[in-house]
Amino acid sequence: MPEIVVDKLTHTFGKGGPEALTVLENIDLKFEDGSFTSIVGTSGCGKSTLLKMMAGLFDPSDGRMTLDGEVIKGTDRRRGMVFQQDAVFPWMTVAKNISYGPRLRGASVAEQREVEAKWTEMVGLKGFEERWPRELSGGMRKRVDIGRVYANDPDVLLMDEPFGALDAQTKERMQSDLLEAWRQSKKTVVFVTHDLEEAIFLSDKIIVMSARPGHVHHIEEVTLPRPRTDEMRLTDEFIQIKRRLWAMLEH
Amino acid sequence: MDGLKKFLSGRFVLGALSIGLVLLFYTIITGRPDNNPALLPPIPDIIGSFFTNLAAGTLLDALWASLYRIFLGFFIGTTLAVIIGCLVGWYKTVEYLVDPLIEAIRPIPPLAYIPIIIIWFGIEEFSRVLLISIACFMVCVVNVIAGMKNVPQVYVDAASTMGASRFQVFRTVAVPAATPFIITGYRIALAAAWTTLVAAELIAAPSGLGFMLQEGRRYFLTDQVMMIIVIIGACAFIMDRTFRSIQKRLMIWSETRE
Repeated sequence: MPEIVVDKLTHTFGKGGPEALTVLENIDLKFEDGSFTSIVGTSGCGKSTLLKMMAGLFDPSDGRMTLDGEVIKGTDRRRGMVFQQDAVFPWMTVAKNISYGPRLRGASVAEQREVEAKWTEMVGLKGFEERWPRELSGGMRKRVDIGRVYANDPDVLLMDEPFGALDAQTKERMQSDLLEAWRQSKKTVVFVTHDLEEAIFLSDKIIVMSARPGHVHHIEEVTLPRPRTDEMRLTDEFIQIKRRLWAMLEH
Repeated sequence: MDGLKKFLSGRFVLGALSIGLVLLFYTIITGRPDNNPALLPPIPDIIGSFFTNLAAGTLLDALWASLYRIFLGFFIGTTLAVIIGCLVGWYKTVEYLVDPLIEAIRPIPPLAYIPIIIIWFGIEEFSRVLLISIACFMVCVVNVIAGMKNVPQVYVDAASTMGASRFQVFRTVAVPAATPFIITGYRIALAAAWTTLVAAELIAAPSGLGFMLQEGRRYFLTDQVMMIIVIIGACAFIMDRTFRSIQKRLMIWSETRE
């Protein structure tokens, strides 16, 4: 079962040097199989750093992370990542972007077509298969990003403020669509954001981090029923959670 | 009506207008009774020289000799530049090894190599092609390296997290992302090839456009000199345009295309 365990993780940039900066200290976390967990915190709390380490983009200076008991080292297709920036390859059409992962592993043209058809539909881009990314809006490009990672079939989906640059309406639609995709695939998702409402709406569990150095401040279980609907954003329970978390981030 | 107005104020008509004005001005000057045609040959003389040389076969011979050198030198220089530039730009070890060398050699104008090349290899075809290759390589390699270094990190990270190996990232991400730089490198190299070609042929060549320039100077055939200058300009222009249209086709995905 794909389960990520973070074990006494500490990360210091420039360790041993005169300007050593500890960004994460003594992090112990567990991301259960099939769960949707958000990490929130003010900027500088190291949440993005933590996520990038889970992706294997760089190694922690102390402690370790495991996926199914296997120590995470280097990047791996099992841990897919959606970035805050636009990561859609502009030199490939939407369809080619979607089937990039399978193509890396030598999928046949037929297999690629199948993946392209399935995931352009899933992320709501049917009819845009042959378009160039430059012809798409920011929200649609994000859909390509997400579809591409899903099409690569990772065990864990790491998302680093993927909707940060989108307008409010687009963002809410993307959140609902993401939940739908997650419901169908049941992949473990770790979602970094600074948007509390987004975190509450999406997650089973919210990890609140504090800065200097980054550490886990609080873990909030979100018991709102699923499937989540937009009306829930206005319920008392939702707002109470938001108020509680907001106070923590303000402290 | 509107379409005509737009056409008349478009780049094509206005561009032709400026060239036309220069030609008109030149015609007026050379038409004056006190004009010395040995210094400023009238346009009909220049055109006459073109047809004389065309009929004699000398022009085409010179043109082929020059184009052959250009293409060969350009091909060798840019091919090496792309291979070495990619390696230097992508692999840190290669960069540390080779980059200081490139940086040290880069400021030297290629024409400075002419004496040493002549000493080593004589006034041979090889020497001229070598010189053009060096010139093309130097200007192109810098662009290729810059292109590889400017590959956005997020593309590299995205490909890696999808399971791409370092080489796969290089092939499927770095090279296409660097294409705009590489094509610019090709275009600059082409310009460098022409510059170097003419210089090399002026100094030491038994044939070619540069040779015809030199010959024109020696025998005071100013109309021939003028004619060759125009030919060189036209060739370089056509080649650059061809390149641009290739660039446009290759860069169909790019937002910054014209």
